[in-house]
Amino acid sequence: MGKNRPIKFRILELFLDGEGHWNYEIVSKIQEEYDMKSAYGRDSINFDIIELASGGMLKDVEQKVDEKGIYKKDFLLHKYVITDFGKVRGSDACIRYV
Amino acid sequence: MDLKALKAQESKRKISKGYMWALFCAVFWGIWYLPGTVVWVLNPFDEMYSAIAETGGDGTALIITAVLITAFNALTVMLALMLWNGVLGKYGELGRTLKEFHPCSKWFFLASIFGGPMAILGSFIAMGFIGGAFAAVAALLYPVVGSVLAYYWYGEKISRRAAIGIGVIIVGGVTIFGGGLLTELSSGNVQWIGYLGGLMAAAGWGIEGAIAGKGLDISEPDVGLTLRFLGENIIWWIIIVPILAIVGYPMYSFALQAFEPFTMLVLIFAGITFGFCYVCWYKSFPLIGVGRGQGIGNLYGLFAIIFIFLFFGDVPQWTILVGGTLCVIGSFVMFTEETSALETLRGE
Repeated sequence: MGKNRPIKFRILELFLDGEGHWNYEIVSKIQEEYDMKSAYGRDSINFDIIELASGGMLKDVEQKVDEKGIYKKDFLLHKYVITDFGKVRGSDACIRYV
Repeated sequence: MDLKALKAQESKRKISKGYMWALFCAVFWGIWYLPGTVVWVLNPFDEMYSAIAETGGDGTALIITAVLITAFNALTVMLALMLWNGVLGKYGELGRTLKEFHPCSKWFFLASIFGGPMAILGSFIAMGFIGGAFAAVAALLYPVVGSVLAYYWYGEKISRRAAIGIGVIIVGGVTIFGGGLLTELSSGNVQWIGYLGGLMAAAGWGIEGAIAGKGLDISEPDVGLTLRFLGENIIWWIIIVPILAIVGYPMYSFALQAFEPFTMLVLIFAGITFGFCYVCWYKSFPLIGVGRGQGIGNLYGLFAIIFIFLFFGDVPQWTILVGGTLCVIGSFVMFTEETSALETLRGE
């Protein structure tokens, strides 16, 4: 699959395993796959995750402070899980290719 | 800093940015009615209007001219959005999303049918026949159409609060349309097509919103909006304009004359304001929620009236002022229902 699909499809697909994922894990994976290694690329992928959450497809379940600077020092890190609605939308968009 | 303080800081930052985007949307949307009104009296559109009116009558002339104006509007919006995507470095994502016809882009093309030939054409018709203030305020009825549609289509519940909001908006709508109609009925000259244009704008935007949402929630809005306008350009420039030309209207000769510096400047101004009002609208949603975004966005009706007053000196009829205020109040009542649901907008 990889980088030939829209970024939000890929993000949903990564969440379709039903596990919780931290935003920095998803962001760095997408940065790698889509070759978006700049700070701008990072922020834009993170905004995609925020949009998916605000659309009710992901749910913010846990937060912690980024003390070591693994993502952005002294900012909040968020952990998300996919919602039922997200599973439906994600399957519409992704499953037929799997 | 501790977790709680950081959370508060983050949400504050989100909310202030979100309100900023929504307000930008309202300002751009309100400004759009200035070039939209001015363009009617510019070459070649005024000449086109009188040329067609001679043989085909005023009504036909107005609609055909509105088609050409709307087609140019779509073209300049597309240019503005392509530039925007270029700056954001999103051409790659644009291509990837376009290829996903089944889950994604078909919704944008469907949305463009209702957004373009219905809502935007209707707005231009209302601007041409009745005036910018009426066109702006009439379209404020769109949330009513949108929520009724969502009720029948995906069974989305209409809460008591939303129903009250809808009621207030409808009273506002009756004031806007009824006030103008009564005056004109007494003078015996009713601009039916203009009122129809106002209704087209409200219905078209309501339907467009309900459809486009299905594609936009799984794509990037900057990209999704560009595809929606790609669809609209195809409708105008590949389907409707050629058909009208074949039927015998002088579409191409007048279209070529539009490449006059001042006319182009006004059209580009329309494209930039319209394109960015859509972009800002969608940027505000994840930050403050669709409801608040739309509520603040609807202030465009008042901005349009203010800008039209400042630039043209037109004071609208009191019915438009009262009706417009009711519509804005109604949309606030309707949209700002869940104060606690800033993080997740849709139910789980």
